[in-house]
Amino acid sequence: MKLLNFILGLDVKIKLAAIAIFLGLTAFIISDPFDNAHAKINVKELALIVQNEVDHVNVDELADWIIKSKTDYRLVDIRTEKEFNEYNIPGSENIPITSLFDGQLARNEKIILYSEGGIHSAQAWFLLKAKDFRNVYMLRGGLEEWKDKILFPKLGVNASDDENARFEIASAISRYFGGTPQIVSGNEITVSVEIPKVAPKIQTPTGSAAGTAKKKKREGC
Amino acid sequence: MNAPFFKFDMFSFDISLVVAFIIGIGFGFALERGGFGSARILASQFYFTDMRVLKVMFSAIVTAMLGVFFFVAFGWLDLSLVYYTDTNMIPQVVGGLILGVGFVVGGYCPGTSCVAAVTGRIDGALYLIGVMAGIFIFGELFPLIENFYSSTDMGRVFLPDYLGMSYGMVVLLVVLMAVGAFAAAEWGERKMAAKKSGVVK
Amino acid sequence: MMSITGIFSKNNEAVQEKVHEPKPYSNPYLVGIGLGLVLLASFVIMGRGLGASGAFSSIVATGVYQLAPDHTVSNPYFQEYVGDGSINPLKDWLVFEVLGVFVGGLISGLIAHRVKKTVEKGDRISVRNRLIFAFIGGGLMGFGAKLARGCTSGQALTGGALLNLGSWAFMMMVFAGAYAMAYFMRRQWT
Repeated sequence: MKLLNFILGLDVKIKLAAIAIFLGLTAFIISDPFDNAHAKINVKELALIVQNEVDHVNVDELADWIIKSKTDYRLVDIRTEKEFNEYNIPGSENIPITSLFDGQLARNEKIILYSEGGIHSAQAWFLLKAKDFRNVYMLRGGLEEWKDKILFPKLGVNASDDENARFEIASAISRYFGGTPQIVSGNEITVSVEIPKVAPKIQTPTGSAAGTAKKKKREGC
Repeated sequence: MNAPFFKFDMFSFDISLVVAFIIGIGFGFALERGGFGSARILASQFYFTDMRVLKVMFSAIVTAMLGVFFFVAFGWLDLSLVYYTDTNMIPQVVGGLILGVGFVVGGYCPGTSCVAAVTGRIDGALYLIGVMAGIFIFGELFPLIENFYSSTDMGRVFLPDYLGMSYGMVVLLVVLMAVGAFAAAEWGERKMAAKKSGVVK
Repeated sequence: MMSITGIFSKNNEAVQEKVHEPKPYSNPYLVGIGLGLVLLASFVIMGRGLGASGAFSSIVATGVYQLAPDHTVSNPYFQEYVGDGSINPLKDWLVFEVLGVFVGGLISGLIAHRVKKTVEKGDRISVRNRLIFAFIGGGLMGFGAKLARGCTSGQALTGGALLNLGSWAFMMMVFAGAYAMAYFMRRQWT
């Protein structure tokens, strides 16, 4: 009781200083408030997203964005550096799955992940979602589908007019990305695919933080 | 909670301007409450007679710093999305010196001069015109000093990273430093008051 | 909490009639905490801190643009504030924030009867000289703030609370510069 009266009777300055020091000490004990290793997830919400398939971007959608030079997203290749250097989708950047949380990605960015197939990017999607990244999508079918549909579109020999017309468009897109459209005849499967060695020289969004930042005006004082 | 709200597109740019206005009201109100609308009070900081500037500034810094730390610790605030300027060491040191000189010559800083001008201080209004003149001169000279302006660019430097200490450690050090400075200020003010009454007799 | 007394006296007209004396300023530590909470709110809501000089840069850039558009566009510094012309440069976050500062300062000043047409100065300097010094000081401040990428609000307060290295270096230098110059300016203030 006496102690309480003593504390209440203290000057407001002393009380404030004591609170500040207490909070400072607490901060010192917490030491590192950035917890990059653990996450809390809302499983129901995630399951719903998966069921409604709102977490995908199709390869033709992506191709369209690249051709139109859209810059409101970051295309992230989560494979290893070596794989990335062999081939990557124009405008993509390489952030291997183990480096996803090294601070290169911001939680308010629109992020599109891709890997060789779909499994790694799906797993990375889950990790990012668990860490509360808002707009994460994965490329449906991954690089395999990109090669299959965009770089090397195929046309059967006895295709209908409709198919032919669509193939024309696909071929144009394919050449844009340095691919080779394939015409497949009946039984023989002679697919001579040559992966474009060098990334084709086209205007693509850099996708880096600098690219997405407003270059119009400064934010500071 | 996902903060900063604006960075997560929770409201539009136009709404952000309304937010700006409201935050500005809070800022201006606090400045005037603290006595920062008066150049004499601001300047007396530099003659050790009234240490309000130091007290208000460092209590504000400590409050906001502790708030940010605990918001980050609770996972409410993504610090990487909170903007602060890159460090360009030499231009900022030189700029700080010029600004300090301007502070004691003019008696205000830009924020406080707004409060001074609106509460009728003619010197505050003139000071504001001076600020705009200074900015104009800077802009005109910019092509000549651009190299210096962008020299010693260190990027975004977070003090704990720079010092190699934990975030919490630096927070504690700042708190202790501030409390120490407050104690020294209180003591200094009493000394100066005693000295003054001694001189006046 | 400091404003409560002010609000009460407003409600009580009889008291207000008699008491026109400016009220004493509030406890600086409490004001500091209030200011810190405003700053924290800005971080949490907007993801940015407070500022002041930036708003005046926008105003100056806009003014120069009105007078000499070509000149402004060719100057990289003003160009940055004017932007690509797609949006009015005065439709800027800091400009609106500073408008709020004027209003907030006025409200507080009115509540405490501290709004008064006057010149703040010491006894040993003429009004004219004080105004000249105010203008020169403002000029130095404007120039220095641009060089340092912010003023006391944008760097010292905001960057200080966010533990930005450059802001802390800047803050120390502001105090160093001011204390070094204080002796030469003593006639103005004491």
